[in-house]
Amino acid sequence: MIFHSLDFIAFFVFTTALYWSLSHRWQNLLLLVASYVFYGYVHPWFLILIGASTVIDYCAARGMEAWPRQRRWFLALSVASNFGMLGFFKYFNFFAENVAAALNGLGLSVNEPMLRVLLPVGISFYTFQAMSYTIDVYKGELRARRSLLDLAVFISFFPHLVAGPIQRASFLLPQVEGARRFVPERARSGFVLICWGFFKKLVIADNVGVIANKVFALADPTFYILWAGVFAFAIQIYADFSAYTDIARGTSRWLGFELTQNFDHPYLARSPADFWRRWNISLSTWFRDYVYIPLGGSRGSRPAWIRNVLVTFLLSGFWHGASWNYVLWGFYHGVLLVLTRGRAPSTPRSLRWRAVPQIAGMFALTLVGWLLFRETELAAIVRDLRLSPVGVPDVDRQTGLYLFLLTFLYSIPLWIQSIWVELHRTAISESDYSLPGWPTLALQGLACGVAFATILVLRSRTSLDFIYFQF
Amino acid sequence: MAGRARAAVGLLTLIVVTLLTPALVPAVNRWHATERFPPTYLAALEGPRARGRFEETRVSDLQRLNPGYVVIGDSMAGTRIDERRLSELAGTPVAPLLQPGSGSAFWYLALKNWVIASGIKPRLVMIFFRDDNLTDLMFRLDQQFRWALDLAARDREDELNALIAQRVGPLHRAHAIAGRWSGAEEARQWIEPGLMRLPAEWMIRSRRRRTEFLDAMNVRLGFDHVRPMPAADIQAGEAANLDFARDVERSVLPLMLRDARHGGLTLCFVRVQRRPLSNGPPPQSPALEAYVGALGRYIGAHGAILHDDTGDPALTLDLYEDGDHLARHARRVYTEYLYDRLRTHFP
Repeated sequence: MIFHSLDFIAFFVFTTALYWSLSHRWQNLLLLVASYVFYGYVHPWFLILIGASTVIDYCAARGMEAWPRQRRWFLALSVASNFGMLGFFKYFNFFAENVAAALNGLGLSVNEPMLRVLLPVGISFYTFQAMSYTIDVYKGELRARRSLLDLAVFISFFPHLVAGPIQRASFLLPQVEGARRFVPERARSGFVLICWGFFKKLVIADNVGVIANKVFALADPTFYILWAGVFAFAIQIYADFSAYTDIARGTSRWLGFELTQNFDHPYLARSPADFWRRWNISLSTWFRDYVYIPLGGSRGSRPAWIRNVLVTFLLSGFWHGASWNYVLWGFYHGVLLVLTRGRAPSTPRSLRWRAVPQIAGMFALTLVGWLLFRETELAAIVRDLRLSPVGVPDVDRQTGLYLFLLTFLYSIPLWIQSIWVELHRTAISESDYSLPGWPTLALQGLACGVAFATILVLRSRTSLDFIYFQF
Repeated sequence: MAGRARAAVGLLTLIVVTLLTPALVPAVNRWHATERFPPTYLAALEGPRARGRFEETRVSDLQRLNPGYVVIGDSMAGTRIDERRLSELAGTPVAPLLQPGSGSAFWYLALKNWVIASGIKPRLVMIFFRDDNLTDLMFRLDQQFRWALDLAARDREDELNALIAQRVGPLHRAHAIAGRWSGAEEARQWIEPGLMRLPAEWMIRSRRRRTEFLDAMNVRLGFDHVRPMPAADIQAGEAANLDFARDVERSVLPLMLRDARHGGLTLCFVRVQRRPLSNGPPPQSPALEAYVGALGRYIGAHGAILHDDTGDPALTLDLYEDGDHLARHARRVYTEYLYDRLRTHFP
């Protein structure tokens, strides 16, 4: 089921209404049933995978506690089963293609065995979330849960199941286990997030997505058209992914849960390190805690640190998809981070005029990254990077400018919000749900109302899936 | 407790204000003197909207041409049939009624409102489709593609609307009612073009030069500049969704067969082969094979013909360009191939 469908709205209203009429234990049971309905709505067989992952991780964690000396084996079982599932469904064809290409290159004619299986949506998210549980139990940072139901709810919790944010067991499991109550202030803030999320998805992301798709479908792009398309894609992917997160966080608040923030206005980042503190935060911290730090992090020699950064980013790129362009994208960001180490602001500061060139520079570097991310053919990436701004026909130059301005027009609310938050960063608390005064409330109502009306009027005729569904 | 009650009132106020704000849209439309739209012919699916003009000239063109063969379909037909070559082979004019990005609803309307309405009696009306297109009524009825139906639809299409009503759930009906109530489509008609025009107005002052630029840009981003993509634009039908018995009476196929019979026409449904593998035909699930078997029996029982390209060794990968489309150079090859395969139906 997808968020931007009438089916989901009916499903969510019904689930929420029923949910608050139940006791805690029944609430969890309802959440599990609802999550499985949500996930198996189109392809019920997906449930076998998530069910298997849950049961294996439950048993592995219990085994670690029951037989501490063998806990390494139980961890191996959990990691192998999750990575096995991920590898089989997501990476099998990639490896088969590359092996076949390599053998053909050696003169051995082989036809790659193609696996015609649909990639189960969200598999990269819930396998990583499930593994965070078993790894934390292995490290002794978390106790193994006795309740399979609670663990199943933690892994399958529907608001964030398909595209994150990836939650840590230590953060979400206690919320699953603890009693919850309906807090109107929290629901209000959730409602605002939901409205903003739908607006970003349906009005901004889907409309600029049409521009990006047009440009990346061209056989003969020229410099200005290409970079206008990359700009459109940058806006699309941020609006799209952060919209999913906002809707996930908003709907969770209606159910009495809090999910971690996943985006912190990344296009106002001033350095690669700053960018990765703001972009897909839940995935970045997952890789930091479970890959980068176990590899040694920044301890040790500089070459070791460079290796750790590059390995982490290569894996992060590969996590996004079974294609070389994602690996290249990860590598590119790893290199950026290595090159700019020591020159990065350690924490996001409030916006200052002198930061503008830094922000613009980092945004330009981010755009290069998005080109690598969006363009799946390596030959096309090389061609695109070699395009020159000189000698471009007038119509192409004007088309590029037009597409850039149109994208900018659609993205104005996004920029205003980012700049406003950045300017008032110290005054804004993400977890402050206290009821504002009536004027603020009226303004919020008006903003949500205008967002809703704009969705009805300006939603794109081309409904696109959330981009991160494919990962 | 008072704080909680106040918070609940605050929440309720927020929701009510949000849901009621779109009620202001019709007032804004009136202030903007927006054109009012007549009821749509697909009331089960949508609220009022600006509709494209019915292409009346198609009827007179058909009468004037009096073709021996008519080809209806989307780009599957468009990238396969070389009408001039088919005309040469058949010794009679061929009329292509093609609409890229169309589905069975469009093909039904084209048959009924153009071919049958024209009163012509071609020897064969060929309708090109992929897999389960013929019984998948909702295929390409979403907003992105629906506009094309206007070209072939009359002011009322009650049978089509009734079929769609069977397919859409209560939520879509509620959506259509909300569309009628909110005036969103009327607002879109003036806001969206304004938004699209704005960057061009910033860039170019002269209206004439602006129009020239927008036309040139549309050509620059048009079909001729699109790169070929190996992936098909639609996925293979999923086994769980392939149920001929369930879907056939909720599709336009029975209407097409009935109308053709009344009009004295013979329909030939051409199932095109999806993109083959490098070493053989495209794989088909058992469910799809069973579906096509049932489709063939049904069509045969109603006096029409089903021709299935799938698995024909003559249709190799080198004929294909992007997805399921054939390359330009393959049109003549395919046309001759089809003529040969359907030889008994040609003079």
